Amino acid sequence: MEAVTQVRTVCRSCHGGCGVIAHVKDNKVIKVEGDPSSPISHGTLCAKGLAITQLVYHPDRITHPMKKTDAGWARITWDEALDTIANKFKRVIAEYGPESIVVSQGTGRDYESHLYRFANLLGTPNVLTAGHMCYVSRVASTLITCGTLPVADYMGGPKLIVLWGVNPLWTNPDEYKGEVFWQAYEKGAKLMVVDPRKGFTAEKADLWLQIRPGTDAALVLGFHSVIIEEELYDKEFVANYVHGWDAFKDRVKEYSLDRVQEITWIDKNLIRQAARMYATTKPAAIHWGVPTEQTNNCVSYTRAATGLMAITGNLDAPGGNALFVNPPTRTVAEFAQHKALSPEQQKKRLGGEQFKLGARVALINPKKAWDAMLTGKPYPLKAGILCGTNPVVTRANAKEAYAALSKIEFLAVIDFFMTPTADLAHIFLPSGTWLEQNHIADNWKRHGYVLARQKAVQVDECWQDHKIFMELGKRMGQQWWDTVEQALDYLLEPAGITWEQFKDKGYLRGEMVYHKYKQRGFSTPTKKVELYSTIMEKWGYDPLPKYVEVPESPISKPEVAKKFPYILDAGLRTPTFFHSANRQVPWLREIREFPIVEIHPATAQKHNIAEGDWVYIESPRGRIKQRARLNEGIHPQVIVAEHGWFYPEMKEDGHGWNISNVNLLTDNAYETLDPAMGSTNLRVCLCNIARCDDA
Amino acid sequence: MNRVSLYIDKKNCMGCHACEAACKQEHGLGVGPQLVRVIEKVPQFIPIYCHQCGNAPCKRACPVDAIVTNDLGIVLVVKENCIGCRECVPACPFGAMQFDEKTALALMCDVCIHRLAEGKAPACASVCATHCISIVGTQKKTAAVFERAAA
Ligand code: SF4
Ligand code: SF4
Ligand code: SF4
Repeated sequence: MEAVTQVRTVCRSCHGGCGVIAHVKDNKVIKVEGDPSSPISHGTLCAKGLAITQLVYHPDRITHPMKKTDAGWARITWDEALDTIANKFKRVIAEYGPESIVVSQGTGRDYESHLYRFANLLGTPNVLTAGHMCYVSRVASTLITCGTLPVADYMGGPKLIVLWGVNPLWTNPDEYKGEVFWQAYEKGAKLMVVDPRKGFTAEKADLWLQIRPGTDAALVLGFHSVIIEEELYDKEFVANYVHGWDAFKDRVKEYSLDRVQEITWIDKNLIRQAARMYATTKPAAIHWGVPTEQTNNCVSYTRAATGLMAITGNLDAPGGNALFVNPPTRTVAEFAQHKALSPEQQKKRLGGEQFKLGARVALINPKKAWDAMLTGKPYPLKAGILCGTNPVVTRANAKEAYAALSKIEFLAVIDFFMTPTADLAHIFLPSGTWLEQNHIADNWKRHGYVLARQKAVQVDECWQDHKIFMELGKRMGQQWWDTVEQALDYLLEPAGITWEQFKDKGYLRGEMVYHKYKQRGFSTPTKKVELYSTIMEKWGYDPLPKYVEVPESPISKPEVAKKFPYILDAGLRTPTFFHSANRQVPWLREIREFPIVEIHPATAQKHNIAEGDWVYIESPRGRIKQRARLNEGIHPQVIVAEHGWFYPEMKEDGHGWNISNVNLLTDNAYETLDPAMGSTNLRVCLCNIARCDDA
Repeated sequence: MNRVSLYIDKKNCMGCHACEAACKQEHGLGVGPQLVRVIEKVPQFIPIYCHQCGNAPCKRACPVDAIVTNDLGIVLVVKENCIGCRECVPACPFGAMQFDEKTALALMCDVCIHRLAEGKAPACASVCATHCISIVGTQKKTAAVFERAAA
C-alpha cells in the first residue's frame, strides 16, 4: 500500500477555477480539500467540488467506450469507438459536406480549445454550445462595445457592488468565486442587488430592486436616464472615449422613469436612488449573471450595462469593472485554428446570416440545429458529437430538442453517465473528470489567470475530453500532437514555460494595468466605447440598446395570459448542482432530493398548495411537476422553478427527462430570440400552477 | 465553564451546504447522518450543529453513560458503549444528535479534533466561503485540545 500523496489541482465541477489539493492513495482520490494558496478561491470549495469523489467512483459511471446494439449497449474498445465515428464522419463529409456534422458542448468548459480545433479542421462551421445565451454572448456584446469583457474587480476594492441577476455565493460566477465577493463586502462595500426574488444577497443588500423577470434591459436604460438627467456622468470620459453619445442620449430619452417603472415593476424613486448610488459611489463594480443574457434583449442589456460602467468612470478602473489582461499563453482562438475554416465553409454556418454576432464568435443557435435535423433545411445535419452536454434537459423547448436528437442519423456522446441525451446516442465515450486530466484551466476566462489542473488519477479507460478530440482528429487526418502534454506545451510556449514547469508554479497571472485605454483607446473600430455600435450598424441591426417586451408576458400576450396568468422564472439555481449535472451524487442529492418551485404564500393559498406539495406547472408548451416551497420574497404573480432536472435513478430510457424538466415549458421560436446573437429566451414565459394530487 | 465548540454565525450563513459535504467527506459518512446541516428558510438559513452543551441533555438522556465529557470538556459518544437506543437523539435541543443506520450507533460532531491537532480548521470551517464557521473556547482550552489530540 502506498502512502498518501497530495496533488495540487483545479476544480471544474462548475466552470471551475477553485484550487484543490487532492489526496491520492493507491491511484484513488480519497479526499479533496481547498487549496489555501489559490488566488481564485483561497481554500474554500463548494459542495459540488467537495463531492467529486462520489462522482468519480459512482457505481453508475461509465468508464469504457460503448456502442448501441439491438440488444442494448455493449462495451467496445477505444479503437472501435473512434474508428466507427471517424468512418461515419468521413461518409457524411463525402456525401453531404463537413457542415452536415454538428460538434457540440454544453456549458463553458476548458476543452473548448480542442473541440473548436477539431471542428475547424474538420471544416464544419456548426458548433453548438450554450454560448449563444451564456457568457460568450456577454463576451461578444462587450467585444463590439469596449473590446473585451469587463469583470467585477473585487480585489481592487469596490465601494459598491451591484449583483445583477447573480448570486456568486451559490453558483458559478465565471471569473472570481463567491469568497472574493464576500471579502470585498466584508471590507465595507455597499451592496445593490437586482433579483426577482429575495435570497441571501437581497436580504443583505443596501438596495434590493425586485425586478419583473426579463426586463433588465429596461432597468439599465432607466439608470442611464437618471444619470444623464442629473448629469452624474464622467464628462471627461464621455467627451473623449464614448462614440455616439448624442444618439445614445436620444435613445435613453425614450426610457422615462415612469415608463421604466411600468415595465420593470420597480418603484421609480427606488430606481432613481439606485442610479444615484451607482453613479456616485466610486469605485463601483457590476457583476452580471446569465439571466440578463438568456433573453431577447441579451445584447442590448449587456451593451447598456457596459455603458453604465463607462460613463461613470468605472470601466477599467481599480475596484470597478476591469479589463483584465490574460497571461501571454496562446489564446483559445489561435489554438482552435478559427482561421483554418474557409470563408466558403463559414458562409454555411446555420443561421449565420440571421445572427451575425453569434456567427462572429463561431456559434449557432440550437433551434437552427434542431430544424436542420428535423426538416433537412437549409441542409441536413446528419451526424454529431456532443461533449458534456444534455440539451434534452437544458435547452428551451425540450420536446423539440428530444425529437431532433432522436432523428439525427448518428450521434456520439462524451459524458460520465448515461443521461437522457446519451440515451439517444449510438456511441458513448467515457470522459475523465477534472481529477483525471492535465490542462491549463481557465484559459478561456477573462480574470487574468491561467491555472494548472494536474491529473491526480486514471480511472479505468476514461480519457480526458482533450485527448478524445485529439485522437479522433488524427483519425480524420488532422494535425495534432502526440500527447496531451505536448499540446499544453504549445499553449504555454509564448509565456516561456513548459507544462512541467507550469505544474509546479500552479498559476500565471497577466499584467495588472488599469486605464489602458488612456494609452491605446478601446479595441473597437472607433477606439472608443461604442454606445452607438458601428458594427451593429454595418450588420443592419439597431446600433443602440433598447428594450423589447418579453416575448411571452401578460403585456405582449394578454390572450395567452388568460389561461397562463403567472410569469415563470425558469432558472432557479441550487448550490448543489450545475445545470443538469450532479443529481447522481448521493451527498448532493441528500441536500436536494427533489426540484423546488417557489411560490408566494398568497398565490399558494389561492391554489390550495402547501409547502412540500407536488405542483403542476403548465405553459402553452407542456406540463411538469416540482415541489412547492413558499417564499414571501417573490412577487405573487411570479413563479420561480429550478432547471436541469431529470432522475438518473430511473433506469429506463429517458431517465424521467419529461417529469420535472423546466425546458418543456420554455420556448425557442425564432421571434423570441435576440436578433443579433440568437440568444434563447430561456428564463421567462407564462405559466399556470395547480396542486398535483396524483404524485 | 470554558468549552470548546463549533460556532456558526447564522446571520452570514448563505445556505451553500458546503460544510455538509466537507463534513461527510472528512468523516466518511454516507447518506443519513448529518453532523452539520443547514435548513433553508429563504432568505434565511439555519445551521444545525452540536453546541457542546455544558450540562449536555444528550449525555443526561443516555441510559448507559455512553456519552461522556472528556477531560478537555468535549462531549463525545463512546462508540464501544453506545447500545443504539436513540434516547439521545430527541434529547438534543438543537436536533444535532445523529443516528447512523449503518452502524446503528449515535453519532455527533467531534469538532474535527484530528484536524485541530494538525493546526487545521475543522473541515466545515475550512470551506465556508463566508467564513461564518469558527471554533470558540478560551485560548487555553483550545490550545489544550490541540496538544492532547496531537499526543
Ligand atoms: S465553485 Fe466551481 S470551481 Fe469552485 S469548488 Fe465549486 S464547482 Fe468547483
Ligand atoms: S458552508 Fe458556511 S455559508 Fe455554506 S451552508 Fe455551511 S455555514 Fe452556511
Ligand atoms: S467540526 Fe468537523 S465533525 Fe463537526 S460539523 Fe464540522 S466538519 Fe463535521
